[in-house]
Amino acid sequence: MAAIELTGLTKRFDDVVAVDDLDLTIEDGEIFGFLGPNGAGKSTTIDILLDFIRPTEGTATVVGHDAQAESLAVRQRIGVLPDAYHTYDRLTGRQHVEFVVESKATEAETDVDALLERVGILEAADRKSGGYSKGMRQRLVLAMALVGDPDLLILDEPSTGLDPNGAREMREIIQQENERGTTVFFSSHIMEQVEAICDRVAIINRGRLVAVDTVDGLRGSTEIGTTLHVSTAGVDEAALETVRGFDGVAGVSVDGERLRVTLSGGGPLKFEVLKALDGAGVSIEDFEIEESSLEDLFVRYTTDEQEVRA
Amino acid sequence: MSWPAVAKKDFRDAVQSRALWALVGVFVVVSTLMSYAYVELPDFFGGPTGPSVAGLIFFMAGSVSLFITLTAIVVCYKAIAGERELGSIKLLLALPHTRGEVLLGKVIGRAAVLAVAVAIGLGVGFGVGFALLGTIDVVSLVLFLIVTLLFTAVFAAIVVSLSATTGSTARATTLALGFFVVFELLWDFAPLAVVYVTNGFSLPQQMPDWVFLVSQLPPTSAYFSTLVAVLPDLASEAGAETGAGGIDAVYATPEIGIVVLAFWLVVPLAVGYYRFTSADL
Repeated sequence: MAAIELTGLTKRFDDVVAVDDLDLTIEDGEIFGFLGPNGAGKSTTIDILLDFIRPTEGTATVVGHDAQAESLAVRQRIGVLPDAYHTYDRLTGRQHVEFVVESKATEAETDVDALLERVGILEAADRKSGGYSKGMRQRLVLAMALVGDPDLLILDEPSTGLDPNGAREMREIIQQENERGTTVFFSSHIMEQVEAICDRVAIINRGRLVAVDTVDGLRGSTEIGTTLHVSTAGVDEAALETVRGFDGVAGVSVDGERLRVTLSGGGPLKFEVLKALDGAGVSIEDFEIEESSLEDLFVRYTTDEQEVRA
Repeated sequence: MSWPAVAKKDFRDAVQSRALWALVGVFVVVSTLMSYAYVELPDFFGGPTGPSVAGLIFFMAGSVSLFITLTAIVVCYKAIAGERELGSIKLLLALPHTRGEVLLGKVIGRAAVLAVAVAIGLGVGFGVGFALLGTIDVVSLVLFLIVTLLFTAVFAAIVVSLSATTGSTARATTLALGFFVVFELLWDFAPLAVVYVTNGFSLPQQMPDWVFLVSQLPPTSAYFSTLVAVLPDLASEAGAETGAGGIDAVYATPEIGIVVLAFWLVVPLAVGYYRFTSADL
């Protein structure tokens, strides 16, 4: 069963199309990254999943239920860390979590202290959230999202306000939940964390889906896969011809004694190229592999799209 | 049915409002002074028969309703609009509550906060009054309290419902204050002005019957009429009248107040519910 299924999802606000004919399926058990620049339509899509807003066209199905008609059943089974939320300043951290426990009326007993401990704010549990830092609030809302072992976690920009340490802890918790069988759908405009933990990613720009694939798959599907920089004692034309002959080598350029080879895919190709150079009698002094990060891909996808439209 | 969780959360939150307790403090002082003045200065306030339980209750009713309307506005105007503007509604509605349950939970939670405030304010004020009078009428006092708490709940429902129609606290403030100005300050003048103009720029000896009906529409008028309907003996003892006397019509009874209160409970909630459930947050 799919955890999330979007079919032709469209949302128009007056004359602005925030989400444009989105088709997307997130399978059970995945960690799925939803990427896009600010204003791309990520939060609008998530707001539709939660029935905060209603789609103009198309449907969204979440954990097997229609996100609009059966929203209550959806929200019973998911945990949410929304974007641009605000906590209740006059209530304590503990009262926030208790409110979620009461609202979900979970059958299994929820250990509120254990949850607060897990996100690292147990010692602040009985202080009012108005005095919390941004990072503490983020941890609190994560604890709220984890109440009742949800089948699906929807996290909108989860590392907002967290320091690097906090962001790492957030990733660990996401992975632990995923190992217990929870599907994770999270949006981000920060590539680093997405790259580290996602099974698959979708890139959205101006309301449109521009790519859906695994991180490796995305790398392979563009010509800026990997760049190999090789310092040599000198290269001859024959050696260059050998390298150019490889399937998957997109370009070779020489700058004095430095060789720059662009590969369209990852994998073992880079080593084969190095071996071939060695075999052609080129003395390799040093080499460096520059893998294109998701960041590069992201910039490429989103800026290309904008250029096309402009 | 998840509204109790919302109501409990909301009660815990709103009961900590500083503005609420400032108003309660003012009301405690005012109600104590009024009780004292009523009992100890009968020449000015006590009426022809001297201080009595009935007189004290109806003497206080006006300031009680003013206190309740102002406090309800302070406590309730941001109930939903504020959560929408700040974004805490995203935490609330990410949980399995329907928007109707949120509205209901909000009304009940906020009404409970107001009930505590009213109970404290009245408890002190009447406590002083009855101590000075040396007598107490428990049945009448309980009936008075029930009607007053009902009125409190109705006004909470009105202001929370107004708050549910918008995502902007500025607009919610305008709506709540506008309601207060129109129905509590201007309402009595409007029919008079109409009568004055249609009667050739002078007031007639006898007001037309419809003036009574129109004058009953503000929630505080309905509260007063309901008190007269529920405590008829005390009302006549205290000389409290609704203005229904001399009008020969079905609606010309104090019981019209109960109907009007029911109207104010149901209609704003229906409007607020419709607007809130159909809104994109």
